[in-house]
Amino acid sequence: MARTYRALAALLSYPTAELLTATAEIAAILKEEALLPATSHAAVAGFLREVEAADLYDLQERYVALFDRGRAVSLHLFEHVHGESRDRGQAMVDLLALYAEHGLEVAGGELPDFLPLFLEFLSLLPAAEARALLAEPAAILAVLTERLARRDGGYAAVMQAVAALAQAPRAGASAIPDDDPDDLAALDAAWEEAAVRFGPGESIDGCGTDRLRTRLRATQRDATTA
Amino acid sequence: MSLFLDRLTFFRYRNQPFAGGHGVTTDEPRTWEDAYRKRWQHDKIVRSTHGVNCTGSCSWKVYVKGGIVTWETQQTDYPRTRPDMPNHEPRGCSRGASYSWYLYSGNRVKYPLVRSRLLRLWREARAIRTPVAAWSSIVEDAEKRVSYVRRRGLGGFVRAGWDEVNEIIAAANAYTAKTYGPDRIIGFSPIPAMSMLSYAAGSRYLSLLGGVCMSFYDWYCDLPPASPMTWGEQTDVPESADWYNAGYLILWGSNVPQTRTPDAHFYTEARYRGAKSVVVSPDYAEATKFADLWLHPKQGTDAALAMAMGNVILREFYLDRQVAYFEDYARRYSDMPMLVRLVRQGEHYVPDRLLRAEDFTEALGETNNPAWKTVAFDEEGTPVVPRGSIGFRWGEQGKWNLEARDAGGREVKLSLTLVGHDVASVAFPYFGGSATNGFTATEHADVLPRNVPVRHLALADGETPVATVFDLLCANYGLDRGFGGGNVARSYDEDQPFTPAWAESVTGVPRHHIVHVAREFATNAEKTNGRSMVILGAGLNHWYHMDMSYRGIINLLVFCGCVGQSGGGWSHYVGQEKLRPQTGWLPVAFALDWSRPPRQQNSTSFFYAHTDQWRYETLATSEILSPTAPSGDWSGSLIDYNVRAERMGWLPSAPQLKQNPLTIAARAKAAGLEPREYVAKALASGALELSCNDPDDPANWPRNMFVWRSNLLGSSGKGHEYFLRHLLGTSNGVLGKDLGAEGREKPHEVAWHEQAPEGKLDLLVTLDFRMSTTCVYSDIVLPTATWYEKADLNTSDMHPFIHPLSAAVDPAWESRTDWDIYKGIAKTFSRVAPEVLGKETDVVLSPILHDTAGELAQPYDVGDWKRGTAAPIPGRTMPSVTVVERDYAAIHERFTSVGPLMEKLGNGGKGIGWNTQHEMAFLRELNGRAANGQPIMETDIDAIEVVLSLAPETNGEVAVKAWEALGKITGREHAHLARPKEDEKIRYRDLQAQPRKIISSPTWSGIESEKVCYNAGYTNVHELIPWRTLTGRQQLYQDHAWMRAFGEAFVTWRPPVDTKAIAPVRGKHGNGHKEIVLNFITPHQKWGIHSTYTDNLLMLTLNRGGPVIWISEDDAREAGIADNDWVEAYNANGALVARAVVSQRVNPGMTLMYHAQEKIVNVPGSEVTGQRGGIHNSVTRAVLKPTHMIGGYAQQAYGFNYYGTVGSNRDEFIIVRRMSKVDWLDDEPAAKETV
Repeated sequence: MARTYRALAALLSYPTAELLTATAEIAAILKEEALLPATSHAAVAGFLREVEAADLYDLQERYVALFDRGRAVSLHLFEHVHGESRDRGQAMVDLLALYAEHGLEVAGGELPDFLPLFLEFLSLLPAAEARALLAEPAAILAVLTERLARRDGGYAAVMQAVAALAQAPRAGASAIPDDDPDDLAALDAAWEEAAVRFGPGESIDGCGTDRLRTRLRATQRDATTA
Repeated sequence: MSLFLDRLTFFRYRNQPFAGGHGVTTDEPRTWEDAYRKRWQHDKIVRSTHGVNCTGSCSWKVYVKGGIVTWETQQTDYPRTRPDMPNHEPRGCSRGASYSWYLYSGNRVKYPLVRSRLLRLWREARAIRTPVAAWSSIVEDAEKRVSYVRRRGLGGFVRAGWDEVNEIIAAANAYTAKTYGPDRIIGFSPIPAMSMLSYAAGSRYLSLLGGVCMSFYDWYCDLPPASPMTWGEQTDVPESADWYNAGYLILWGSNVPQTRTPDAHFYTEARYRGAKSVVVSPDYAEATKFADLWLHPKQGTDAALAMAMGNVILREFYLDRQVAYFEDYARRYSDMPMLVRLVRQGEHYVPDRLLRAEDFTEALGETNNPAWKTVAFDEEGTPVVPRGSIGFRWGEQGKWNLEARDAGGREVKLSLTLVGHDVASVAFPYFGGSATNGFTATEHADVLPRNVPVRHLALADGETPVATVFDLLCANYGLDRGFGGGNVARSYDEDQPFTPAWAESVTGVPRHHIVHVAREFATNAEKTNGRSMVILGAGLNHWYHMDMSYRGIINLLVFCGCVGQSGGGWSHYVGQEKLRPQTGWLPVAFALDWSRPPRQQNSTSFFYAHTDQWRYETLATSEILSPTAPSGDWSGSLIDYNVRAERMGWLPSAPQLKQNPLTIAARAKAAGLEPREYVAKALASGALELSCNDPDDPANWPRNMFVWRSNLLGSSGKGHEYFLRHLLGTSNGVLGKDLGAEGREKPHEVAWHEQAPEGKLDLLVTLDFRMSTTCVYSDIVLPTATWYEKADLNTSDMHPFIHPLSAAVDPAWESRTDWDIYKGIAKTFSRVAPEVLGKETDVVLSPILHDTAGELAQPYDVGDWKRGTAAPIPGRTMPSVTVVERDYAAIHERFTSVGPLMEKLGNGGKGIGWNTQHEMAFLRELNGRAANGQPIMETDIDAIEVVLSLAPETNGEVAVKAWEALGKITGREHAHLARPKEDEKIRYRDLQAQPRKIISSPTWSGIESEKVCYNAGYTNVHELIPWRTLTGRQQLYQDHAWMRAFGEAFVTWRPPVDTKAIAPVRGKHGNGHKEIVLNFITPHQKWGIHSTYTDNLLMLTLNRGGPVIWISEDDAREAGIADNDWVEAYNANGALVARAVVSQRVNPGMTLMYHAQEKIVNVPGSEVTGQRGGIHNSVTRAVLKPTHMIGGYAQQAYGFNYYGTVGSNRDEFIIVRRMSKVDWLDDEPAAKETV
């Protein structure tokens, strides 16, 4: 039952006046629970100081521009796993079922794969189980960290902390390339359809449309069937 | 080895092959199947469809599991058509099938968003001020105002709560109504037929306020003005199933398989049935696969082709040989027997207006509206007044019909021709002698006199020669009938307008193909009584002279008796999308239950004025004026004509007056006059001023604008860059200079400001579920429900079913339905407004409306009160003036209940009315009674039930009432069309169970029956209900003075206009690559438009992932462009970037850019403007046409989305070249936000 998850969830949520007044509390929890590696901890602390000093409107603008527009650093995990695939709906259903097994239902208007929501869920679980669950999308967290680093150092620090909790591998070698519209060969490869084979050995994604992400998912553990 | 011991005795192997080795049993675990089972499991299936943009209205099954929409599939339970007809299924296309992507996509608008600079100002002001005072403190402070206006399109959004955004909007609306007038609050939303209640939510709010609803059909250039001109009908077309009944189909400038995917199967089936199919398309479009013969005229020359086909049909089926069916049809259902006055102009005569009963001394016995009753000769040569002309429609009853009788009831057979009498030389204008931009000019004079048979009549004003429309038409088509004189031809090979040989030189289509198709088309119609059909579309209609192509084709259909016959007729499928329960919907949509009339504005004229595109006008009226124009002053620029039309009450005018309309009643009272008298006097004296005289004066600016269900800026905004510069006041890519800087002639009627305004709008609010181009330029973005998250209705012109949209799931995140959003704004407005507004008297100026008695305004010459040629009389020579009482504190109460005017004034449409007592009593029971005693209309479903109960199409009892009401006017019994369905009442839940076929109603000219398909004009031909035109017939001769002045009294060929957008920029933006100039064509695409938009990644994946333009191999070679290169296209209007698709499909000299590709997806910066990309409308500019401004004249009288100027864009040319540097603008923070 680690509140570090909730602290990171708060930092990845839309910044509010309430958040600005809670930075001390967040800092204290992070320090007290000491779940983050030292470098991550220092970076998040830096972001907290940044938040503290920032103008709320600027923070909010920054958040909307970063997360509410487009999908490159979307905080909805399945955006990166399933993208346009029809499997996304089923995956969300599966996640809801997981929450339900723990006696929880989604209260606000958010989707079940929203990272802060997922982190809050983890905060309610025993440490080992939480860590195991967070490890499932570890590759995505690593990629998000890398993409955020190119866009916004502060949020990259928070994502890096989440990735660290997940013990994610570093993104460098990992699989999700940032689409380069000029690399036609890569695009072709990414979108190439695999033949559908019916029978044993074919996963549920056999009919999925998004091959890149499907392949990525195949190499990682499946977050949806936990 | 022993065979014996090899054998098993007591066992056998389980998995032996069987069936000769073809079968084998295996016993691997079958758990993998669970994945598939799970994939197709669901909690429920909900029926819905796609709104706004799609004419399909296809039934879809939306699968829901655990409160999440998981996928959609086509629904297949349509009611059957009939024996011998294919069914409607399958309906639905790839766009619809990928729609659910939007629900959870990264591009979804999830929360109300406000530009932070505005929100900060608001919160600071609101902390110490009341709401309206807070708003006024922001917009009245120039520095504060500009601080957020200039940021439009540059990001900087933050989330806000609903209560807060509602208060900002309500305060802005209240401030604007109080300070400038409610007519400065405008709203744009298109295509109400699709998700009609979502449309109605916004229009109801605006109408209760006294705000202005903007038209779309004309603005999109999807309205074919030829339809109102010819039929007095906005657009009425056969359903797609009726294609199957055709014997001969021409697909002309319409790409059915691509843009009407769910209906295309009827075309295929018609071909299997044996119909012949001709496809006319300049490029090798997808539809050409349907062709038995593919004709490919040069783009923009379709009218020339149609003229030549008309030449052949008249020659072979009217002159050299007569066809009884055609002649009878022409005599009864067209204006061809009507008489036209001829007036002398120099050495020749020119056709003047249609002869009227009033021209005769004694008015041929007519006392009611003799100025509006047209005259023909009967076969004995006696002038008679045939029934059915518009004069019979108003002021008397029982004679407005198409029976072959005269006014007195005597049976008459009208004469088509005056052959055998005198012959006179009549001059016709010819415009094909000069052409620009590579279009072919022919060597013929600009005035072509031709001999026409005439008779001289002794009229009240002296002896006057007259001719029949038919005889003039034959001369107009250049047919030699042996009357001598020049400019006519007998042979198809003569180079005379409009022979097939002549057309070959203009269009490039071989003459023998023209003759062949025309002959076959008519022969089929002769043998089948009119089962020849033309499906036509935007490929023709978006040209400046679209009326010529359309009327050229309509003439073919009328010559061959095809209109109103099943399997025949005119099938224009562009953007209108029939709102079938229209008369039930209108009261809800425009709050006619509480106040009448609503304010409605034609968007093309409005945007032309208020985005200041007029300041850059390059087309002089002298370039389009006819050499045979009647004498008079035809000077002035295009906006001058529009201003004249506004002040004469022809076109609407919003904002209407420089003065606040809420103050007019008080001024009138002070002057001791009724408002109506006061407005007329004060306008004439100058005490009141029309806003249109000075659109750049801050007092006349539109101030608040709502956009919903629309991507106004990203898709339909012709002159996109002018919108950005002048209406929005933000960064833009306009490359040309205005008339002032160019030192060119300025308009006469409109004030010129040296400094053009930048940023007329105080507030732009957009409702959408996706972050569209329009959203990124808005001040406030409100998240709406998607098509799977709300209850609504769809109807289509493509099939006769009414469809529900259903809430499969609740609106995601903070989104709300349009109904709830506007209801919420109304509630806040009612709380906020009393700060400055209470019960107010609003004086509403409205144009002279079609389908009202007012349409008989000026029968002869055009009287302009400002020029002293007429007295200012509201509703006759100037706009109508009506006093409307508004109760601003009661907007919410009124929004949510059905008002008392339904019982007090009744309901109706298209010139007929009926009472609604019974329906209102029913609604009080069904929906319940509100506190004010009226029926409740709280929820979207309540509102749907109101529409369904009031509309004849969905309530059989009302249908019978409506037909009976029409029967009084026509003197004929029509109610038999609805009586079998009198007890049928369609409710919302019925529609959710299965799409329902609508009930026949006089709102439409076709019928729903078990015997024939819906076909336009059917009741005109079979029930003898007149067309709602001057003559009551299909009118091929347009006799209004402005039609004659601009040379379009008869159809003719007019080459595309020259917008001159190349010269000002040519050679000024070189990047070292070869530049070529191409015609810019913007058809509809396969991967977006209709159910989805060009940001749906599933669809983008199928075609290069971003914007493309198509160019021919020849042009590409010349410019050194390889397939998939980034290219830039630009002209004086702006620039755009796209990848090149180099294809044999495209003709040299033109480029295709599919309509509405978003600049928010995969678009780099332009080298020319330094701004991100641009959209297809970055290189266009709206150019108005004076003939579309005519009003107060029978069918040429205004109606919302019915008539008016249209936003054509096909005549535009662009410079295309390869890009040197593709800059994604990712590194520059400021530019990065510029989306």
